[in-house]
Amino acid sequence: MKRTLFYMLLFAVIFFCAAPFIWQIITSLKPSGELTSLPPLVSMNPTAEHFRSVIYRHQLVRFILNSLIVAASTTGLSLLLGSLCSFGLAKLKVPFSSPILAIMLSVSIFPPIATVSPLFIFIRALGLRDTLLALVITHTVFSLPLSVWILTNFFKTIPDDIYHAARIDGCRSFHIFYRIMIPLSLPAIVTTAILVFIFSWNEFLFALTFTSTSSRTVPVAITLFAGTHEIPLGEIAAASVIVTAPIIILVLLFQRKIVAGLTSGAIKG
Amino acid sequence: MINKDRGIRYVAPALAVLLLITAYPVFYVLYLSLHRELLIFKISKFIGPDNFFFLFQDDRFWNALKNTVYFSTLSVSVELALGLCIALLLNRSFRLKGVTRAVVLLPWAIPTVVSARMWELIFNSDFGVLNYLLGAHINWLGSPSWAIHAAILVDIWKTTPFVVILLTAGLQIIPGELYRAARTDGAGAWKVFRTITLPLLLPVILVVLLFRTLDAFRVFDVIYVLTGGGPANATETLSLYAYKILFQTLQFGYGSAISVMVFVCTGCISVFYIKLMTGSTPR
Amino acid sequence: MPDVQDGRSTGGASTAVIQSDMHAQIITYLLLGTIIVNSNCFPGTKDAPPASRIVFKHGKVSGDYERFKTLLKAFEKNNPGIVVEDEALPASTDEQHQFYVINFEGGRADFDVVSMDVIWVPEFSRAGWLLDITDMLSEKEKAEFFPGPIRAVTYRNRLYAVPWYIDAGLLFFRKDLLAKYGLSPPETWQDLVSSSLLIMSTEPGVHGFIWQGKQYEGLVCNALEYLWSNNGDVLRGERVAINSPENIRALRFMRDLIARYGVSPSLVTTSSEEPCRHIFGNGRAVFMRNWPYAWNLFNAEKSPVKGRVGITTLPSFRKGASQPVLGGWQLGINRHTKHPAEARALVRFLTSPESQKMLFLAAGYYPARKSLYRDRELMLQQSFLPELYRLFMKARPRPVTPYYMMLSQVLQPEFSAVVAGLKTPEDALASAQKQIEHILEAEYDQ
Repeated sequence: MKRTLFYMLLFAVIFFCAAPFIWQIITSLKPSGELTSLPPLVSMNPTAEHFRSVIYRHQLVRFILNSLIVAASTTGLSLLLGSLCSFGLAKLKVPFSSPILAIMLSVSIFPPIATVSPLFIFIRALGLRDTLLALVITHTVFSLPLSVWILTNFFKTIPDDIYHAARIDGCRSFHIFYRIMIPLSLPAIVTTAILVFIFSWNEFLFALTFTSTSSRTVPVAITLFAGTHEIPLGEIAAASVIVTAPIIILVLLFQRKIVAGLTSGAIKG
Repeated sequence: MINKDRGIRYVAPALAVLLLITAYPVFYVLYLSLHRELLIFKISKFIGPDNFFFLFQDDRFWNALKNTVYFSTLSVSVELALGLCIALLLNRSFRLKGVTRAVVLLPWAIPTVVSARMWELIFNSDFGVLNYLLGAHINWLGSPSWAIHAAILVDIWKTTPFVVILLTAGLQIIPGELYRAARTDGAGAWKVFRTITLPLLLPVILVVLLFRTLDAFRVFDVIYVLTGGGPANATETLSLYAYKILFQTLQFGYGSAISVMVFVCTGCISVFYIKLMTGSTPR
Repeated sequence: MPDVQDGRSTGGASTAVIQSDMHAQIITYLLLGTIIVNSNCFPGTKDAPPASRIVFKHGKVSGDYERFKTLLKAFEKNNPGIVVEDEALPASTDEQHQFYVINFEGGRADFDVVSMDVIWVPEFSRAGWLLDITDMLSEKEKAEFFPGPIRAVTYRNRLYAVPWYIDAGLLFFRKDLLAKYGLSPPETWQDLVSSSLLIMSTEPGVHGFIWQGKQYEGLVCNALEYLWSNNGDVLRGERVAINSPENIRALRFMRDLIARYGVSPSLVTTSSEEPCRHIFGNGRAVFMRNWPYAWNLFNAEKSPVKGRVGITTLPSFRKGASQPVLGGWQLGINRHTKHPAEARALVRFLTSPESQKMLFLAAGYYPARKSLYRDRELMLQQSFLPELYRLFMKARPRPVTPYYMMLSQVLQPEFSAVVAGLKTPEDALASAQKQIEHILEAEYDQ
């Protein structure tokens, strides 16, 4: 009895989480004529026309590529700067290290809207409007606090003895960093990478503001879908499905890592 | 801690980038907010705190503030309550736990804009599946009283997973002996929850509240896509108002003044929670 | 739709035009990706343009895009050495406006000819983004266009754009229903209310009057028509005149249509053009305010209201006169263009009588030139062109000021609040007055 109730509740939770997405898939397969009528809930004549249309007519591939480039570069840069910084903070003597960490973390509570207007002027002055680089820079900066936080916490768990031993063997600190620390922290680095990637892939406000045509990313493209008076429901649904797929794969493969990353720090402190 | 190496060389690049891209804008936005700045017409004039004086008598600002506070309060409280329930539900061993956890994570992971688009379709008053299932004719996104709640629902759907993940982790570090001891004392489930689970979970709850409140207060994407702030500005939040002033017509002075207010508000929220946290864990 | 892809990597001048072959596309993207990754923001220089290439930005073309494309091809044929590349912008006009504002402000010259909503021209001119093309139209040539658009493209006595096609608000009505009850098309708003009530009382499921009351630019258009037809206005000279008894009365009437008379369903408070057209097109409303584009759709083969729809100018209040809002698009030239002569040629070509005729036939765009309304071929297509001619002659531009978009941003939520019953007209207009005065201070206080 109790078991049944448990599984019923569990099913309810799963349904609540997955239903909107399933509905989107169903919609994306409906022929145009059936989009604006219910019933039937599920079309008897599923079609791939919307998928064809978003790929061939709406240049979705190009926007996905833009998003991929931005998210991958952001992840790389954020990890590079973040791991160096975390190594310094966790293992080396840094003056004012706790205030520095505090400053870094306080950046994560900055409302993006409060920085977007000066950044717009800044990016325009550098001639970076409508370039992917503008997004990579901003995304890297806004994801740095997260990288630093997770990696600093992880580096702190690696015993200092390892560092000392290597030091006595004559290793320079940078060698220790990339020969010893990085391999030892691979799990934490993967976790950070996934979180930063998802953040960048999903980011909207800066992408909306700093790009216009050639460097548009996927979230912006889906928002500014072309259509005169009518709204192309089927195509929007198809585009959503395509764009969400990589994220779903990431989540299914790495859910353990994601959970570890999200909870890092929040639980201890 | 190791003394010999000067770690500042490692910290400096990240710190420099961070300060350049965030600290500089913060001062610049303050500077802009004291100007009448119409970028497109090359009008730039120092007017002192005039923008703020006007802001305080601007109905639309107060309306946006009210919407933002309402949105944050309601969505965060429901997310916390719902998240706690789901976390308690998942905090036991059962088959397919990994898959369940992955499914629960999905709404959090997909782009906010995409989820807003999904829900837009579900909410449609003519052919949305929600009205179809309810057998109702509710104009979810069109009527001022429903629209804000529709937006809150999307936010709840989108971020409850985050709450669940944090709370589940928090539950796992509560020692099992405590529960066993309580049960041998004959305490009921509710009493166990109230005297053991809740107090021990409190620090995590506060962290969740801090993150979620800050996020909800800055809400932009969901509303931008779902309603654009309408109908009758019933869903216009501070971030959206600032954005419209800033980027639809490039009124950078007044728009920056609104941004500064968002900044001040989030600052106050953080200070409030951090005070609560240091108070609740006297270690 | 032909797949002419714009493959500029990061905003450089050259462009790779690729036919939509999936493999080629993917390979190019991968290549582009590597270029961007390696060099971050290099402007790609892949192929030198063989001729002057001009980029033409416009909103999505309704109707037959192929025929629009043919028009551009014809231009290229007549002007050897010029290649026109057209790029469509996002759907909503607000998003298009934002696109232009941000890109013009960046001083970008990667587009040459732009199509602009009638309300943007003063703003863009004031900002110095448009080429002064006063010499393109003589006084005599100007007189060949409708007066409303010419007023809207003139800023401080200089011409900054040429009218391309025109639009204006009008009243659609059900001929058959009015005839059945022996009614004539309404001349005053009160007539419209009483006719609606009469028909609604015996025709179940039919709404009286539907219009666009959603919070967007369309609502401002609708509301201005009430304000103007009661002798109200937003600005009088340099003075903000929105908070006036006439305007309050007019605005209250809009709310009364829903709340007091019940002739408009509450769904109008969230409707834009298309929902209205669907309702009217399914025979579920007696009157509708909309733009002329709906006419063709109502008289299409399978339309339930085919042959049963009439059009007339919008009603007015007793003491006022009917004044439809002017819409439509104009062609201007980016001041930073590197090909001013070629851009002028394109503008001249697209606004010529021949092109406007072609656009009317292909996409249903109403010509901004008066003479075409007597064209035999066009008359054959749409018999009510003479009526539209009278309508377009009356069409009045929304306040012609560089600050229009800012005013509209103020007006949209205030009007919406009144229509939805959240604010009284008095409160809304007092608030609008204050905000608009604040905005215009910038202009007069320099």
